[in-house]
Amino acid sequence: MSQIETFYDVMRKQGITRRSFMKYCSLTASALGLGPAFVPKIAHAMETKQRTPVIWVNGLECTCCSESFIRGAHPLAKDVVLSMISLDYSHVLMAAAGHAAEAAFEEAIAEHKGNYILAVEGNPPLNEDGMFCINAGKPFVEQLRHAAEGAKAVIAWGACASYGCVQAAKPNPTQATPIHKVITDKPIIRIPGCPPIAEVMTGVITYMLTFDRLPELDRQGRPAMFYGQRIHDKCYRRPHFDAGQFVEQWDDEYARKGYCLYKVGCKGPTTYNACSTVRWNEGTSFPIQSGHGCIGCSEDGFWDQGSFYNRVTDITQFGVEANADQVGMAAAGVVGGGVAIHAAVSALKSAQKKTQTQVSENEEA
Amino acid sequence: MTKTELLVGPFNRVEGDLEVRLEIADGAVQAAYANSPLFRGFEIMLQGRDPRDALTLTPRICGICSISQSAAAAAALADAAGVKPTEQGALAAAVLHGVENLADHTTHFALFFMPDFARAAYEGRGWHAEVRERFLATKGSSARALVEARARLMHITGTLGGKWPHTLAIQPAGVTKAPDARDRVRIMSAVRGFRRFLDSDFFGAPVEEFAALKAPSDLAAWNTGSAGLFLRIAEDLNLDAVGQGPRRYLSYGAYPLASGRTTKAGIWRDGEVRPLDPAAIAEHLSSVWMLGEKAHPFDGMTLPDEDMDPSSYSWCKAPRLSGESAEVGALARGVVDGVPLLAALAEEGGVRARIVGRLHEIARTQLWLEEWAQALDPEARFMGDFELPSRGDGTGLVEAARGSLGHWVRIEGGRIANYQIIAPTTWNFSPRDENSQPGPLEAALAGAPVEDGATEPIMVQHIVRSFDPCMVCTVH
Repeated sequence: MSQIETFYDVMRKQGITRRSFMKYCSLTASALGLGPAFVPKIAHAMETKQRTPVIWVNGLECTCCSESFIRGAHPLAKDVVLSMISLDYSHVLMAAAGHAAEAAFEEAIAEHKGNYILAVEGNPPLNEDGMFCINAGKPFVEQLRHAAEGAKAVIAWGACASYGCVQAAKPNPTQATPIHKVITDKPIIRIPGCPPIAEVMTGVITYMLTFDRLPELDRQGRPAMFYGQRIHDKCYRRPHFDAGQFVEQWDDEYARKGYCLYKVGCKGPTTYNACSTVRWNEGTSFPIQSGHGCIGCSEDGFWDQGSFYNRVTDITQFGVEANADQVGMAAAGVVGGGVAIHAAVSALKSAQKKTQTQVSENEEA
Repeated sequence: MTKTELLVGPFNRVEGDLEVRLEIADGAVQAAYANSPLFRGFEIMLQGRDPRDALTLTPRICGICSISQSAAAAAALADAAGVKPTEQGALAAAVLHGVENLADHTTHFALFFMPDFARAAYEGRGWHAEVRERFLATKGSSARALVEARARLMHITGTLGGKWPHTLAIQPAGVTKAPDARDRVRIMSAVRGFRRFLDSDFFGAPVEEFAALKAPSDLAAWNTGSAGLFLRIAEDLNLDAVGQGPRRYLSYGAYPLASGRTTKAGIWRDGEVRPLDPAAIAEHLSSVWMLGEKAHPFDGMTLPDEDMDPSSYSWCKAPRLSGESAEVGALARGVVDGVPLLAALAEEGGVRARIVGRLHEIARTQLWLEEWAQALDPEARFMGDFELPSRGDGTGLVEAARGSLGHWVRIEGGRIANYQIIAPTTWNFSPRDENSQPGPLEAALAGAPVEDGATEPIMVQHIVRSFDPCMVCTVH
């Protein structure tokens, strides 16, 4: 470790070929919405810049974020990112166990002090002095605070770390608490979703590792490039919504025809995420495509907004234009494709106006 | 004779958190106490909600076996509503569930269990170099091949379920997705793709041949693939003689189809399978940081003891069938189902038997999936009608990869009045009950060798992981 170690060095050590490396750079560029011109820039950064260490810790959670990450993503992207982060500390994936694992954790923190990214999966329960989640004899909240001290930035994986998610659902028996209430002095980037989409996870982490800065965030601290639009905005069933064609019951004739799932509880109209564009399991599908409504899992407090099978009644969410505008501006700033994006936003705005009248008509009907 | 105590944990490459306290004397474990230190309180959150929301909430117990939780919740609600899924709906649910179980078993083997044999302690063994090449954590060639094959297999959960983990498609009366002819072809081709991985890398021979093994003596002759590598290690380290559980095996019967469950339900003890009476299940609380009395899940409560009474040592309740502990999992399913190879390993009941149980089920599941995918009929109905009663009880019993999973729901006034869950690892890693009877893992650890001065006795690691524990499900 006398010389600086770049990401490229690490990848070479893991047996990743030059060809795969270049392919990875172009995959990343396209996942991030960057043009082909960015491919050499990414490659150059990865060849010359010192590798940023990542330390991955787990609190109250179900490991779905790790699972999404290792199972879903494009094998190459996953391989590369995994080889970059697994060197440091990951409870789920690493080889060491028990005391050796604890030692590896302390060593990674000390060695990379001030320089590492802390990735947090899950959240700390604060009830009973944190006794509902114990790691190596200590409450997880202590491990989290300790790990955050030397971090230069923090990633909140999934709805758990971002908002509390299921363990914080009413009545939140363990007082599960999102990490921003515990870590108050570091930049936190939120990647909500239950779990987040694998490509979003690898995309964000690669962006941070490559450019050594946070991507553009929206007001909730989510990367605008992935959370800038509602599921509804890019849903392939949207034309049916606009035409007032709805599924009334599971597997009725309308379900077979692929009509809109709004009436069976779809939360797509109020949920900001990339499911309808990036999709899941290597772009295979997403919940709405499988005939089940969106449950809104990337939104704060989605567990306690009434039943998942009741229709969205908070219609004010439709056509909040200022919001869409801001998001559009932020997205344009990030991707540098301002004109195209803005045009898309304008198209959306007009679609929303149409939508709003449509919905009120439906409600009256 | 000096008696020492050792606290082992946290265990990584285990889903969730686990700590085991060992009492050691004469170079062996005398007694073990398993603590599940992670509690979230799902059963408390479920109270008062729309019963249908259990379909969304309970899968979040676990990101690895979320489809199992979803299948159990759907089965419990279907039972309360007095409906059954349509024939094709049940088949599609079985495909989803089978894919998840297959992925779980192979993941456990390649990413969680085998890397332990790559440890430095085994340097010099004939198989050590091969294990390092194939299974070194995050680097091994076989582990990588698996991760890739599995991501492709998971396309099926994408096609049928929209996403994975936390798939939503399974409902009480069927599935929300009616696959069309093109989906069916895609599913069949993904299943076939996984077979290529199993045949070439995992078994090193057609899955049919492994599925056809009849006697433990056949295992010595199996030399190929990752399976052969494990069997050679098992012989060298005598893994057949360590980690013997209670030798009582429970199974609810896997994959309910219209024609009945694909494997038999029952309890195996003293060499024979007896019928299962779910009413005889009770959760004991005497070693658990929970208030209340032992109870059947319908009457069970989840009241965490905030004082954490020092005479207790776990958040995990202790389920017992007619007062006895029981082991669950792939081995248990095979034994109860009367699979000859596994029935012959029932008495052996240790580390090797558990892993062989899983390997054998991997082969069988691949064959089932091929048959089921073929039988999908895009013209049929995949979802029936159902209406939940405003008052009623429902029991949902399924088999997750790790073993028997039960959901018990009581509905009053159209809302959930009580919801209790017993997960596979709740059975396997349960603490002592009111009669001080240890749970299956605790029993399996007694007698495990401990090297002088070792802080992480390696055989303890093998035994713990041979159960494929899922600690987040355990306590929930």
